[in-house]
Amino acid sequence: MAQVSIGQLGDFPEATPTRVEADGVALCVVRVGNAVHVICDDCPHEEASLSDGDFLAEDMSVECPLHGSAFNLETGNPDCPPATSAVEVFAVSMDGDNVLIEL
Amino acid sequence: MPIVLIAGAGMAGRATALTLRRVGWQGEIILVGDETTPPYDRPPLSKSVVVGTADMSKVIKPALETYAQGGIDLRLGVSVTAADATARTATLSDGSQIAWDALVIATGCAPRALPIPGLDLPGVHRVTRMDEALAVQAVLTAGPTHLAIIGGGFIGMEVAAAAVAHGHRATVLEAAPEPMSRPLGLEVAERVLRWSVERGIDVRAGVGVEQIAGDDRASGVRLVGGEEIDADLVIIAVGQSPRLELAELLGCVLAEGGVHVDAGMRTSIKGVYAVGDVAAFPSVYADEDRIRVEHAAVAIGHGQTAAEQIATGEGLFTDLPSFWSDQGDLTFNVIGVPRMTDTIVWRGDQNIPACTAFYMRDGTMRAAFSVGDMKTLRSVRKLFATGVSPTAEQLADPAVDLAALAAG
Repeated sequence: MAQVSIGQLGDFPEATPTRVEADGVALCVVRVGNAVHVICDDCPHEEASLSDGDFLAEDMSVECPLHGSAFNLETGNPDCPPATSAVEVFAVSMDGDNVLIEL
Repeated sequence: MPIVLIAGAGMAGRATALTLRRVGWQGEIILVGDETTPPYDRPPLSKSVVVGTADMSKVIKPALETYAQGGIDLRLGVSVTAADATARTATLSDGSQIAWDALVIATGCAPRALPIPGLDLPGVHRVTRMDEALAVQAVLTAGPTHLAIIGGGFIGMEVAAAAVAHGHRATVLEAAPEPMSRPLGLEVAERVLRWSVERGIDVRAGVGVEQIAGDDRASGVRLVGGEEIDADLVIIAVGQSPRLELAELLGCVLAEGGVHVDAGMRTSIKGVYAVGDVAAFPSVYADEDRIRVEHAAVAIGHGQTAAEQIATGEGLFTDLPSFWSDQGDLTFNVIGVPRMTDTIVWRGDQNIPACTAFYMRDGTMRAAFSVGDMKTLRSVRKLFATGVSPTAEQLADPAVDLAALAAG
């Protein structure tokens, strides 16, 4: 497990899924206030970038833009078909404004 | 140790096997599939696989070693050829005998026969199995191709849309006057057809096909009346019907062209379950006593339910039926159980692919078709989940917040 910086807090617009790559891994990053959530950007169902989807504040999830499965930012689990498996959730820590994840 | 025998390694069979382990089943699991490809997601075959853009590690999944690690005895290239419900035995096509404690019928569908000459010519393909879709991919990735696609259902239209989006030409030949009207209803099907034509698909509806033209390989399709459609590649996509031989051998009660099951996926025979395309199951979302749904999300849900029943004696399939169709740059999502006779209420501009159609029956919302409108689609899921049916006027009014209505 390595701590990898994925950017500064201010790099991530509020409540807007943003795609970044770290060590070749595509990530979907959502900032809510001072909290940052990071999940794998690839929809486990078919080929879609979750950061092209919407953040659903009431469910704390990101909705796949293709078929509408929404992935919870804390558990990675989809709420409805067609996705049936979870996306990876990355542990986030802050070093000042620097956003670090365990990769 | 008790043995679960799963006849069919499609999406429902695969889900049954994987879920059994997840919910703690300690007995043996034998998963039998007649294809040699390890279990895979079938929807991409008519989309990203035929044009060669699929990430195959996301299509053929999980990785083969997952089965061995999970103690799932995956037997590929074989099928169940005989079974006895009293003795609880089965015979596989390789001659092996299995004494089962639970048997899951996950035999899926077989392509419907098309009684015309020329089907055995080189250049005539189907896309129902992985090997068939890869054969089409080999042609399409070699260079620009003109496809004649016999059948304008979802599969035919998906292949056409994927091909056209990748620089090929596609002519779809459909016997019915209105392609896709049976699953979507006339009004919605008409819009989908228009968008398909706008994207460059040549759709010929209401035509009969007489034979595949060509001497030593397919050169086109001859229509009733004599007209000939030239083509480099002919795809047969005229639908499918459930494989019921195993259920009939066992003596299962049939219904709706499939195997009668309860919400626990239990057939009329104790210890025998049916899942996926073959299962005629009860649904609170349908008027009929039993329905069959030939779509992936339902197949997976069936498999999960059957596995829970076998392992724990609990679990019912109560999912809201849903399916999707990716046609080139458009993704159609359908939730609920639409019927051809439903009244359509549109939300958003129905002339462009960024709208939702609601299927109303007796004043109640029974299904929705949505394209380019994820916000409404999500609201509709919430409406179904809470059992709230807005009025037609509310559904049609973009100013009405449907999610708020669902929340009460």
